[in-house]
Amino acid sequence: MFKPEDMSKVLVVAPKDQIDAVVKKLYSLNLFHIEDYVEQEEEGYEGYRIGMPLPHGSDTSRELLKLRAVTNAIAVQADDVSPKERIASSRLKSLIEQDLPSVEGEVESLLNRRSRLDAEAKEIEQVIETLSPFANVAVDLDLLRGYDNLAVLTGYINAKPDLDIPHEVLTASSKGGNLLILWISAGYRNEAERALLDAQFQAVPIPDESGMAQDRIHYYKGKLSDVEKEIEGVNHALDSLKEKHQGFLVACDELLSTEAEMAEAPLRFATTENAFLAEGWIPKKDVHTFIEGMSVATGGRAFATELAIDMEKDVIPVEYDNASFAKPTEFLMDIYSRPRYTEIDPTLTVSIIFPIFFGLILGDVAYGLLVLALALGLRKVITGDEGQMLLKILRNAGISSIIFGFLFSEFLGFGIPGIEPLLPNRHLSIGHAGGHGPAVPELMMMTVWIGILHITLGRIFGIVNHARQDHGKHRTLAVLANVGWLLVMYGILIAILSMFALPLMPDLTGWPAVVAGLTMPAFIGLGMLILGVLFIVRDSALEIVELPTILSHVLSYARIVGVGLSSVAIAGVVNLIAIGMLIEPQLEHLTALGVVIIIVGAVVFVIGHILNTILGMLGGGLQSMRLHYVEFFTKFYKGGGKKYDPFGMIKKFSED
Amino acid sequence: MADMTLEMVQASQAGMKALGAAIAVGATGIATGIAEMSIGSAAVGATAENKDIFGLALLFVVIPETIVIFGLVVALLLLF
Repeated sequence: MFKPEDMSKVLVVAPKDQIDAVVKKLYSLNLFHIEDYVEQEEEGYEGYRIGMPLPHGSDTSRELLKLRAVTNAIAVQADDVSPKERIASSRLKSLIEQDLPSVEGEVESLLNRRSRLDAEAKEIEQVIETLSPFANVAVDLDLLRGYDNLAVLTGYINAKPDLDIPHEVLTASSKGGNLLILWISAGYRNEAERALLDAQFQAVPIPDESGMAQDRIHYYKGKLSDVEKEIEGVNHALDSLKEKHQGFLVACDELLSTEAEMAEAPLRFATTENAFLAEGWIPKKDVHTFIEGMSVATGGRAFATELAIDMEKDVIPVEYDNASFAKPTEFLMDIYSRPRYTEIDPTLTVSIIFPIFFGLILGDVAYGLLVLALALGLRKVITGDEGQMLLKILRNAGISSIIFGFLFSEFLGFGIPGIEPLLPNRHLSIGHAGGHGPAVPELMMMTVWIGILHITLGRIFGIVNHARQDHGKHRTLAVLANVGWLLVMYGILIAILSMFALPLMPDLTGWPAVVAGLTMPAFIGLGMLILGVLFIVRDSALEIVELPTILSHVLSYARIVGVGLSSVAIAGVVNLIAIGMLIEPQLEHLTALGVVIIIVGAVVFVIGHILNTILGMLGGGLQSMRLHYVEFFTKFYKGGGKKYDPFGMIKKFSED
Repeated sequence: MADMTLEMVQASQAGMKALGAAIAVGATGIATGIAEMSIGSAAVGATAENKDIFGLALLFVVIPETIVIFGLVVALLLLF
């Protein structure tokens, strides 16, 4: 909580003949985050070389490449396959040798056949293309070519050309325009071409076919549909192959990938002539299991030990350590950046505050129920860890919206009868006069308070971070600077309160003036402001330009009420149009047309509210995220931690 | 101006308020649109290159939303 999992740096040393056993054990433990060895002749590492891949590595990779080619071609994806039963690795290995080649061969031959058929279909389409201009020509195609002393010109033309040479002409309409066929004596060819060019003639090649064009087109169309039918058959065969073998194929893929990964592991180790060593990270709580496991797997011939961590030089991988409630929020953290090992991990605060902001914005019982139903309903549809995390975040947001819906007393933009809003009123008087309208000043002040508290929390985290990470004089200055920011913020607040009485804020205006019309609280506020600026300047004078952000960041929380009220307004307008304008007037004197209008009204009502829920989800989610990322995180959070990525894989389709 | 009744003055004041609110939301909306325009196109381009930054890109796009929200806040304060 508030801090990542404690990590230990571990070293494994063993003779080279144990490399197989060690790699296998590391993989099955799925704990060891390998620190890649880089050859740079570092002090203490002279003479070490990067290891060579295990001997079976290249074969496995080749096998894997072939398998992937096949699975890609028939679109087999591990995510689409639900693991039914896990196949034992040893059995799978023999299956890979016996069955896989035949499956691959079958798929490949089908694919070859399909590409041949595709090419054939293309060819036929091309022939039909060349024939189509002649579809309406009532002359045998043989008569268009094969003359010794005649030339035949064919092409599209708009108007009949003026030709003062002996000629025979035939025109026919076709899709591309008017087709002109011109027979002339071969000697006049140039002259005729020139005349046609003037008449904007577009030449069309004469197809190399005999018989009537219409008949040939008919013949080729029949042939094409035969080929297409055949392609369909091949596709069908591929689909049934996929259906039959996809479980087997993904299991093979899994096994071969793990083997390839294991075979390549020594590339990340440092080796000498006879031994190798691997450095890496594992969670502190697993050190004991790890060391014991290593020694058991190698019969005591591998030596594993914990090393001292050098906080300055080591980049420690980060694994979250959160209560299960806060786990889904890690997704929101990773979108921004994973925390560094030494800084506060704010996942828990985000997991609590994010739904609250979302609820404050959406704040409607019905919309909350819709969001909740969506989050629960999509659980089966969206697989994958990240999708599931997102749905859980959405679920929490939905629950929070329902709670705040009761606090605001809102249901589809209507008030809930019998429940007075506990929070400042957000009801808009749309479509009916009267009512006192929303309590905007109170809502605004509520969000200002939320902003001030949220930013204060951020600054406190900043103080803790600096106290933890920095050293010496800089540490004091950095901590004081954060205190300074708080002093400036509260100083401004007190100074303002000493002059104006604001709702939901303590009234400090009643104090007697001391000097120059300024009261005691005003002086205190100004003093805090000046002291705060001094603290900030001592750390870094440039930060002065950031001072206005105090105001803009606090006011930025007004988006909670701004976006929230606009969603209430949209709901109100939908209700007004659907019920007030369409349904209610018809209910008074029911007619046949009236029923239709009522149905239209109901449709408007449903679509409008669904649209508003989607808008509210987008607005509520994005704005609350943004308040965290921009207003909250900038106060303390650096991020950029390296992800803890242990060597190994959770097998879904095969087992040892 | 002299022959305006009290009701007319009140009505025109209410109208001016509504106009002010409309300008506050409208102008800031346009400003946000302009700002998000270039960020949005860059964000889409960057996301096309590397899908992983979608979250961050989305965040960058909504940053100028603050402008229109300030406009909305001013409008709400004017109206209520």
